Amino acid sequence: MAPLSFILTHAWLIPAIPLLSFLLVGLVLRNVSQRLAGAFGTLAVATSAGLSWLLAWDFLHLVPHGQPLPSLVPWSLEWLHFQDNFAIHIGTLLDPISVMLLVVVTTVSTLVHIYSTGYMHGEPGYARYFAFLNLFTFSMLGLVLAPNLVQMYVCWELVGASSFFLIGFYFEKPSAVSASKKAFIVTRFADLGFLLGILVIGFYAFQIYGGMKPELLNGQQPLDFAFLTRPDVLASLAGLDVHFLGVGVLTLSAVLIYTGGAGKSAMFPLHIWLPDAMEGPTPVSALIHAATMVVAGVYLVARCFPIFATSGEALTVVMCIGAFTSLFAAVIGCTQDDIKRVLAFSTLSQLGYMMFALGVASFAHPLGYSASMFHLFTHAFFKALLFLGAGSVIHAVHSNDIWHMGGLRKHMPFTHGLFLIATLAIAGIYPLAGFFSKDEILAAALHSGHTVVFGVGLLVAGMTAFYMFRIYFVTFWGEPKSEHAHHAHESPWIMLAPMAFLGVLSAVAGFIPIPEWVQLPGAPVEHEGIDLAVAIPSTILALCGIGLAWLLYGGSRERVDALVLKLGGFYTAARNKFYFDELYLFVTHSVIFRFVAQPIAWFDRNIVDGAVNLSGWFTRTAGLLLGKLQTGQVQTYASWLVSGAIAVVVVLWGVLKSGGN
Amino acid sequence: MLASAIPTLIFYLLAAISLTLAWSVVTGRRILRAAVSLMGVLGASAGLYLLLDSPFLAGVQVLVYVGGIVVLLVFAVMLTRTTELLEDHPTRLRQIVGSAVATGFFLLSYFMMTSDVFASRTLSALPKNDVAAIGRALLDTGEHGYALPFEVVSLLLLAAMIGGIVIARKPTALAKSEVPHG
Amino acid sequence: MAEFLAGCTPTLTHWLILTSALFSIGLYGMLTRRNAVGVLMSLELCLNAAAVNFVLFNRYLAPTAQGGAERLDGAVMTIFVIAVAAAEVVVGMAIFVAMYAERRTVDVTRLDALKD
Repeated sequence: MAPLSFILTHAWLIPAIPLLSFLLVGLVLRNVSQRLAGAFGTLAVATSAGLSWLLAWDFLHLVPHGQPLPSLVPWSLEWLHFQDNFAIHIGTLLDPISVMLLVVVTTVSTLVHIYSTGYMHGEPGYARYFAFLNLFTFSMLGLVLAPNLVQMYVCWELVGASSFFLIGFYFEKPSAVSASKKAFIVTRFADLGFLLGILVIGFYAFQIYGGMKPELLNGQQPLDFAFLTRPDVLASLAGLDVHFLGVGVLTLSAVLIYTGGAGKSAMFPLHIWLPDAMEGPTPVSALIHAATMVVAGVYLVARCFPIFATSGEALTVVMCIGAFTSLFAAVIGCTQDDIKRVLAFSTLSQLGYMMFALGVASFAHPLGYSASMFHLFTHAFFKALLFLGAGSVIHAVHSNDIWHMGGLRKHMPFTHGLFLIATLAIAGIYPLAGFFSKDEILAAALHSGHTVVFGVGLLVAGMTAFYMFRIYFVTFWGEPKSEHAHHAHESPWIMLAPMAFLGVLSAVAGFIPIPEWVQLPGAPVEHEGIDLAVAIPSTILALCGIGLAWLLYGGSRERVDALVLKLGGFYTAARNKFYFDELYLFVTHSVIFRFVAQPIAWFDRNIVDGAVNLSGWFTRTAGLLLGKLQTGQVQTYASWLVSGAIAVVVVLWGVLKSGGN
Repeated sequence: MLASAIPTLIFYLLAAISLTLAWSVVTGRRILRAAVSLMGVLGASAGLYLLLDSPFLAGVQVLVYVGGIVVLLVFAVMLTRTTELLEDHPTRLRQIVGSAVATGFFLLSYFMMTSDVFASRTLSALPKNDVAAIGRALLDTGEHGYALPFEVVSLLLLAAMIGGIVIARKPTALAKSEVPHG
Repeated sequence: MAEFLAGCTPTLTHWLILTSALFSIGLYGMLTRRNAVGVLMSLELCLNAAAVNFVLFNRYLAPTAQGGAERLDGAVMTIFVIAVAAAEVVVGMAIFVAMYAERRTVDVTRLDALKD
């Protein structure tokens, strides 16, 4: 292996630069100049992006072509020292998926920063926006580079917090406030599972670790991914005869960790926060709720994949939930009118795709692992582009409702072209990026013998094409349906340039040989190229979806209305997102609030606060009474003095007398 | 028989006078009358000194205490123009507290004194030459001498005199301008 | 009569009871008087009682040197007490005069600046 270059040993610079920029922008520049703050934040992230590309280049040339890429921790620092053989480090883990995600995050983040300088122009809180974007970028990079579960958990919470800040960016809007709270509470609830998972696996891993011979430890720590994913460690963990509710330790911790990932990646039934998160500024949706943060859950499962694979049952859970979410979200996506919400459900659906791709993978059939990461990579680009395009449209039309748009093809030719590229990419049309990654996923599902999942995948592929082209036709074709749509103008070049860059990436990302680079350690897979048995039906289904969309939405609304009438109740249910928000509201309000929270609140208000108030009252009254002694009257003081002196003499006399006797 | 009875009689007489006058000092509503009573108490004390075979101290008591200090106090009364004012009686609470503390003190000392420590003491021998002995003791620099305290007390008197003048004089215009009020 | 009186010859205890009674009366005045000059007078009562005590103890308890000079520490102390009392009255009087000039009163119950 070639010696490590500067950037490989100093990978911490990549997250450190956005962090410094966050502090500088948030604390200093914000009060100096809004424009300067935006420019500085953008420049900082661009620097990180440059370093990431450099790092990726050096990383790919570490080993001769054709050999599997290494996984190494070139820099780490002891952070928490609990005892001699248990310490938590912070460090930078470099392996194919972390380097890939590093590049994706910094690139998309840079483009979104540039786009935002145009999109957010003149908004109040412009500098605050960039400060939080920088904070998010730092947290996400720290998460990606985490070499152990604890650093990942810390950064995991940090991305959750910055997501909260950014969803609630328009905090004067009640809907934005409640959306940010919803996102934070739901993901935080899921993170509780993650934390429990860390504790469970950390406890048992530490036991195994402590029982190991020092030469087997390899300088690792119990919570390091490198330790937790070692075959011998996993074998010992799986062999433990400890059960909770009939579930083994390994499966239990894997499922708990997956809960955290499912919360962040908005898997069913924790998906409810993502559509509401669209209350944030559109570039934020592009960066956080499409390209980067929501894939953290997928990344987490990929990072811990050997744990899931050894457990087997946990992987089945991942697969089922992924496939169901994918289908469920696609159905809802066909019925929504808010352009950003359609994209949000599309994101859900694609995340489900990635999850079930991981779920169908195993050490025997590792293709799903590579395919999932490949889809993560391509999806980041075309979904970010879709959101930025939607943002551009919203910027021009001042509405999120697709039925207020229409005919924008003529007014916004560049946006239209780029949006079309992204739509074709997500629909899986050759030769755009989505085709390749989707093809890989479907091939993985088929070849690992999960036929049902393969069928669901095919169906979802067709539905994706349908609902994406539905919003495409309604937005860009037909007649303008509102005053604003008539007078829409093309967005400024500072917004179009990042979109163009993403457009290029969406078009060519499929030719980047990610599956060759990203392979499950210890289970190399020959890149099979395009599997025609999969590619042909999926392309046909996608074309059918597009055709159906054209048929229904290319012209007037009459055909749609007729269809809606025929579908009746099912349509209404899907349009209302199958009433999951209402269900959660019922559970939280009518059950948890009334029977759990209210009694606890009563107890807190009356018993706990009562005790506190009582002690406060006692102290205050005692103080008042003691304060009365402080009359300022010399004679009162003299009385006390003499009384005290008398008392002292009496006591002394008594003591001396009894001592004398 | 009678020779030993007369001092006893005088003692009780002086004791009665001083206690009565002391009571009027602390309770009298007219401050000037209280000052005169104080003068009487101090004079009775001079008599007590004589009974204790200390004629020099009796003279000092009359000269300094009665003649100096009480006159000074009377001046204070005059200068603060409270002569004609009837002083209000102290509040009930203050009376109760004051008498409780004073009674407590008295009872404490009474029990201490009537316990066996002092009971059986008799008079020691008479000093040979009162004035000369005190004078020697005050100026002696030896083992039982008081030369240093004597000098310290003289300094104290000087300081008190200057201090009294500085505190009591009317603030001049200059001093007022120099010292900001407040 | 004379015999009765001879039987009542004051001992040290009688003297001490007298002085502590005087002291207690002074104490009472100190704690109850409203006029500052009255407080000072009560203080003089206490000082005087203490001064008498010095002479008293000197007279009854001082060791008489065998063939040496008489010890007169108590008497000397009384002189010091009188001197200190004089100094105290001077300063006290000056303070009262200044206080009167400032506040037009020498009522100690109305002076409560210590409270602040």
